[in-house]
Amino acid sequence: MNKKGYYLLGATLLLAFAGFSATAFKETLTPYVPYEMARKGDRVVQVAGALEKGSSSYVAQEESLYFTLQDPKTKENMDVRYKGLKPANFEDAISIVAIGRYDETARKFEADKLLVKCPSKYQGAEVKTYS
Amino acid sequence: MLDSLAQLYLPGALTLWCALFFSLMALWGYAHSLSPAGAAASLPFARRAYAFFAMSVVLCGLLMTLLLALRDFRIEYVFQYSGLDLPMHYQIAALWAGQKGSFLIWLFWGALLGLLIGRTAGKNEPAVMGIYTLTLLGILFILVRENPFVMLRETPLDGEGLNPLLQDDWMVIHPPIMFIGYAATAIPFAFAMASLWRRQYDDWAARSFPWALGGFLVLGSAILLGGYWAYETLGWGGYWGWDPVENASLIPWLFGTVLIHGLHMERTRGRFRRINYVLATLGYLSVLYGTFLTRSGVLADFSVHSFVDLGISGWLIGLMVFFAGLSIFLLATRLKEVPTEANEDPFLSRGTFLVLAAITILISTAVITAGTSAPLLTRFMENPGQVGPSFYNRVNLPIALLIALLLAAVPYLSWKGNEPREILQKMIGPLGFAAVLSVAAGIWAVREPIHLLFVFLSGLALATNAHKTFTKYRAGGLRAAGGYLAHVGVGIILLGILASSGYDESTKVTLELGKPRQVGDATLTFQRFLPRVGREKEGMEIRVQQAGGKEFLVRPRMFTNDRTRQVMVNPDIRNFLLQDFYVSPIELDPGESAEVALAQGTSSRIGDREFRFDSFELQAEGGNAMAAMAAGKPINIVTRVTVTQEGKSETVQPVYAFNPATGEVSNPMVALASGGTLSVGGIVPMNGTVQLLFNKPLLSIDVTRKPLIQLVWYGFYVVLIGGTIALVFRLREMQRRE
Repeated sequence: MNKKGYYLLGATLLLAFAGFSATAFKETLTPYVPYEMARKGDRVVQVAGALEKGSSSYVAQEESLYFTLQDPKTKENMDVRYKGLKPANFEDAISIVAIGRYDETARKFEADKLLVKCPSKYQGAEVKTYS
Repeated sequence: MLDSLAQLYLPGALTLWCALFFSLMALWGYAHSLSPAGAAASLPFARRAYAFFAMSVVLCGLLMTLLLALRDFRIEYVFQYSGLDLPMHYQIAALWAGQKGSFLIWLFWGALLGLLIGRTAGKNEPAVMGIYTLTLLGILFILVRENPFVMLRETPLDGEGLNPLLQDDWMVIHPPIMFIGYAATAIPFAFAMASLWRRQYDDWAARSFPWALGGFLVLGSAILLGGYWAYETLGWGGYWGWDPVENASLIPWLFGTVLIHGLHMERTRGRFRRINYVLATLGYLSVLYGTFLTRSGVLADFSVHSFVDLGISGWLIGLMVFFAGLSIFLLATRLKEVPTEANEDPFLSRGTFLVLAAITILISTAVITAGTSAPLLTRFMENPGQVGPSFYNRVNLPIALLIALLLAAVPYLSWKGNEPREILQKMIGPLGFAAVLSVAAGIWAVREPIHLLFVFLSGLALATNAHKTFTKYRAGGLRAAGGYLAHVGVGIILLGILASSGYDESTKVTLELGKPRQVGDATLTFQRFLPRVGREKEGMEIRVQQAGGKEFLVRPRMFTNDRTRQVMVNPDIRNFLLQDFYVSPIELDPGESAEVALAQGTSSRIGDREFRFDSFELQAEGGNAMAAMAAGKPINIVTRVTVTQEGKSETVQPVYAFNPATGEVSNPMVALASGGTLSVGGIVPMNGTVQLLFNKPLLSIDVTRKPLIQLVWYGFYVVLIGGTIALVFRLREMQRRE
């Protein structure tokens, strides 16, 4: 192969990889959305809100945590089911981010990851991830 | 102005203002010594001004450390990040707990490093030092504006304390080392800019190479320590989470990796001459960009390390724009003049493979940068979002394969080019090793073809480089072996990453106190609670019996921080030759509890258990409990309780300790062999009855087996040792030449 051929091959590979990365980026991107959009349930998204006091309950048989988030602005509610154990400091959280997908039939947001923001002094807030 | 002056701790503010004054003097001196008229006399002046600047900064850093050590809570920073309850080493570590302090320590190291750079810059010292001082001036401006010496109007009695997550020994060493690494990225940048500016294209590579290599080693060590921290104490389940803050340190390190190879090529073979300027620039700008991302609040909702906007985003953007503008201007106007060699390498040659490896690492860096910037990139779209670890893992898998392949070939390639058959012949030994390794991996658990290829190529890279390290060592000692040794380490790391993150097994289980539970091929028993002893925090003891009969204890910690009431968790890890056994507590549920009041000699049932209060005994220091009680001294009431369940009995002795002087009561729970705990809730001395509390605490834990994770650490050590060997020999060579 001549030099030009190598360059062409290189450019093709590079383009292919760029396409591969862009696809991966799009597929793994979890946008922050308002509850209304999350309810469409067409992709993995993240929703944020404050924990409705007293709404959380852990069902041991299902190993799931149920709770309700409230959008601080619109005061809208979103029921969430998180398949996992209750994170430490969960009840004290100032805000909770749930990452997952809305389930149309269960009428619940099925979270597979939670970000729990606790009041703390490290520059105002501390976040911990649970998956 | 006067109002805000009154609120500053003057000695501290003075050191910053002095630093500002002397740095401007130094800048003026360096600039003047470059002008035709200025000449000789200005350089000693500039050096002296720089020395005074460095002295002011060091003084400033020491003063803040002293204020922290003295717990002078008049100072807002001391108040915000420290407290009376902290031991001295955390009190001092509070220096880098907040943003202002972080910038201070960055400037501190930067100023100290600057004292050594001038001597290594040769004739170009004024330009190099001028640009280097400019980079420090940027940080200094931030500090003068966001002054860390602001005082409170009233002196609080105690500070707000240090974030419990940061109260850890790793916190004492990891961040300061990280900041040396960040500060060091400005050095190759200053050399590169000065070289372009003064049109002295020839020796900057050789002169800045040891700095670039040293910075690479320091930043690498800091990343390694951060990984340890995340894995061993924070209980995040792994050493790397692709968190924006982690990535912000990885990106400059990857640029540094390419830069040291580029500078080495330029120094020895005159190659990479133009691209090295770009690499040094990107390395420095990526530090500024990472600082902007993590300190400006744009990632506030996306990162484990959340930082809130301090109002310095504007400054950081300004700094980035300034240095990006400066470098783009210099690169655009001068790069064409830099002589290069026409690339006539055949494909199968060392030169081509090095270029390919450099491109591959740069692509990886670009992808990681894009992923980290996702919240920023998508901000302009409808809904900002982020990408998770799966993005980085997916995209970097093919990159790792390619890197391993290139690394494997490099030791046997010559500059002039080789025939494929010649290379394969030389590779027979390593190929055999890689094949055996892949078969072994296949027998063990690796089934996916792409993972088998990964094992094969990583093993091959490990073996060819190990072979070359050995032959180089035999031929001429360690002198030329460092680089190959570092590549051996990369092969080891790749194997460790695949095994530990691709083939780990993780289960979440809930253990009832005292009741054995099967998890995989091991039996776990939550045996007892561990009380707080000195600096050892409260925790749990879990007995693990493995199928082979091996038995050991793990003691994960779970405690509430006294100040913030935050629940803290530290995992416990047992290292074995082939895997780590990792136990991290998730939640402790006090469980159902029941209470009975019993007079001595009587019994009562709770569920299927019968409790009998046999007797009690009073104990006190000095022996005479009655006299102690009468004197109001602390006493212990040791009870004897027999618990019977399904015909089996056991006797336990829960204690009730009472100090009449303080009213303090301590009544620790005692674990029962039949499960659950017993404690004494109270005593009624009048009629001699005790209140017994029966609890069935439930502990939820994460049990993970991480195979071969040790390889990640060992591989990293090998990389760092290899790099250090190379650095030591380059420094010796330079000394000889001077």
